[in-house]
Amino acid sequence: MSDDETQSAAGSSPQGSWRLFVPADVPFIYQLVAAVDPRWWRFSRHGLEPSRLLEIAEGLAAGVVVVDENGRPVACAVLADAGSAGTGTLEFYALPDPHAQAIAARLAPELVAAAFAGAPIRRLYHERFENDPDLLGEISTLFEVEVTFPDFALVDGGYESRTTSVTTPERLAAWQAAGAQ
Amino acid sequence: MITTARIVLRPVLPSDYRRLYMIESDPATAMTWRYRGDLPRIEEYEPALWKQTQQIMVVEGRTSGLVVGYLQLHDLDLRAGNGWFSLYSGPEHRGSGLVMEGLMAYCEWAFGNWPIRWLYAHSFAHNVKNFEHGMRRGEAVRLGVLRERMLVDGEPTDVHVIGIERENWLASPLRRRFNVLRARRC
Repeated sequence: MSDDETQSAAGSSPQGSWRLFVPADVPFIYQLVAAVDPRWWRFSRHGLEPSRLLEIAEGLAAGVVVVDENGRPVACAVLADAGSAGTGTLEFYALPDPHAQAIAARLAPELVAAAFAGAPIRRLYHERFENDPDLLGEISTLFEVEVTFPDFALVDGGYESRTTSVTTPERLAAWQAAGAQ
Repeated sequence: MITTARIVLRPVLPSDYRRLYMIESDPATAMTWRYRGDLPRIEEYEPALWKQTQQIMVVEGRTSGLVVGYLQLHDLDLRAGNGWFSLYSGPEHRGSGLVMEGLMAYCEWAFGNWPIRWLYAHSFAHNVKNFEHGMRRGEAVRLGVLRERMLVDGEPTDVHVIGIERENWLASPLRRRFNVLRARRC
């Protein structure tokens, strides 16, 4: 990818920005998965054997890395399971520290908008454990819970439920229009 | 293997593949969750059949000896302790109750042989009636509905997510009755 392409695909914020995922980001993905284990379930469900994680990462449709004001990667968002049904799943995780999570939450609206702009998606899903930090920030209200898996998996000694919620381009557009007024 | 008065639930054999392919070729169910209308050619069927799949159990009618349907255990997640199942019924046996009897045998088999706490299934809105009895009785629960999740013949279609919990199944009156009848009639 050229620098121009990176620039055109990137958004920015006073305290952090994001850019498209590149192969050199793989070590950061591993670091992130390990730091939040087992919350990034797509990767953690089979354990953290590196070659398997790499294989999963290669199968993802698209991804971005969120960096802080010093250019240090702090979060990652990927679009997974994007298929012919016009649906996809947003997976979004940040390093487990308040600064990283705050930057991620601040950029969440841009990332969701980018997912809809970059792929023909009519319904965007988001899965989370009940005690996951809220990284969707002010757009979390646009996501409606459709499925709850009770006591889905053990996390730090206790079972946590997992939900699947969804939003649409129409909901995001209405929210953006309301914010612009 | 589990045997009842009417059916045998047993592991699939390669000699069953052609029959399974026939079941899945039925136009009424061609738009399944797995193939979404794009059933592979018979030569490519075996790897497609086993993709992400841990075990396949066929339901054989005891009188006819014919495979009337099959159940698939797939996407097993041993860290969470859950797995997914798919259920397929031959077109001429829908409504006979044979495959739903096979589902009871399958629950008995799956929870008795795999360390799983939950079995989940996706069901299109037009098939979910098969689970309604179980949900009313409490053996199964609807965990939610993914609105307009899939396109069937180009139309957005809801997908119901059904769950069967191990402890719930083990304690259910239906299971007790199933095993009493099974012991009496075999």
